[in-house]
Amino acid sequence: MSRKPEKLIDKKGLRLDGRKPDELRPIKIEAGALSNADGSAYIEQGKNKILAAVYGPKEVHPKHLALQDRMVIRCRYHMAPFSVQERKSPAPSRREIELSKVIRESLEPSIFLEYYPRTIIDVFIEVLQADGGTRCASITAASIALADAGIPMRDLVVACAAGKVDDTIVLDLMDTEDKMGTADVPLALMPNLKALTLLQMDGILTSKEFESAVNLALEGCKKIYTLQKEALRTKYVNMKEVEE
Amino acid sequence: MCSQSSEQQSDNLVLPGERLGVIEEFIPDAGTYVKDGVIRSGVVGRSLHDSLNKRVSVVPLIHGAMLPKVESVILGQVSSVQTQNAIVRIFKIGKKQLSGVFTGILHISDVQPRYVESMFNVCKPADIIRAKVISEKNKTYHLFTKDKNLGVVYALCSQCGYSLESKRQSLYCPRCGRIEKRKTALDYGKDIT
Repeated sequence: MSRKPEKLIDKKGLRLDGRKPDELRPIKIEAGALSNADGSAYIEQGKNKILAAVYGPKEVHPKHLALQDRMVIRCRYHMAPFSVQERKSPAPSRREIELSKVIRESLEPSIFLEYYPRTIIDVFIEVLQADGGTRCASITAASIALADAGIPMRDLVVACAAGKVDDTIVLDLMDTEDKMGTADVPLALMPNLKALTLLQMDGILTSKEFESAVNLALEGCKKIYTLQKEALRTKYVNMKEVEE
Repeated sequence: MCSQSSEQQSDNLVLPGERLGVIEEFIPDAGTYVKDGVIRSGVVGRSLHDSLNKRVSVVPLIHGAMLPKVESVILGQVSSVQTQNAIVRIFKIGKKQLSGVFTGILHISDVQPRYVESMFNVCKPADIIRAKVISEKNKTYHLFTKDKNLGVVYALCSQCGYSLESKRQSLYCPRCGRIEKRKTALDYGKDIT
């Protein structure tokens, strides 16, 4: 937080990093980035760098956490101490605990939980570098990691945020825009089933602005979904045999 | 590699949620699910449209999400032994190494076709054992070793901790000379992977 820019959008209608209001940050997604996890993914969205790893399904310990009719998902969203400008304590903060829950709940509807009763899946999300919109990027990456782990899923989950900055509705807010802007609407979508699994808002929007923000975020989700598919395709397109 | 006959169309890489057809044209098979009359893929795999039998399925490309099933051959470590039972921590199913462990139970009546006096003559804690799953009722994996290829594949001497070698009917410790009894698999000591 070195300096406060006076205007978040300049006269030409461009944002601080030169993006148009409805433009995403450059995104790079890789499936299977880690070899020790059952499934993994790495995402770079602008300056965000996030790793997601999935382990399981495995036996639940302690046993009382197990559910008799379905699988349990345990999700940990964590920011590395070096992920932000000032060192962040590695202990899970209140915000991280909440985001873990939010991410877990937005992934749960996409998984066939009832296929594996009395088991657990661990989802680890490690934010290596944060620049706003980490929850959305985390959901996108975690969903690929789950698919990469071979877990039966209804659909992939893709997430994107929109918000209001200097009286303009913009897509995919970065850190400064998030902090200085008026509102932020992150949402997660199962694109094939056309179902939302997450919809949050902080700040103030009129109902009209809210609607256009949601529509803009949905457009963003569709663009990210093609990249998400691409990432899984590049890993599996040449694979003929079943991977042991 | 990909066999493309007239009635079978395959090798489309599909991802979870991708539309494969509607229930009026195909019968949904393995790897698919139905939502609002539309058949969709449930895994990452290759779709298989069988227009002769009117079936559509997805052959998974990843063998993830493995659980012990009835008839699957597992590899595990004995964690505790009682007179009637042994508890086994399953860490491998077939060739697939698990990221966690599942707990299995081996009862004395499932060890050998003949009468077995005590479980202590079958296996000891820390032994590596190969067994077959015979029941998964209530997610308790009941194991079975009534086969030549099943049984202990690697064991340590209970006196000095050295690895035991197979010698005729029993196991022998080359360091302290102790002779121990186990229900060994035919390939004892050869297949340690």
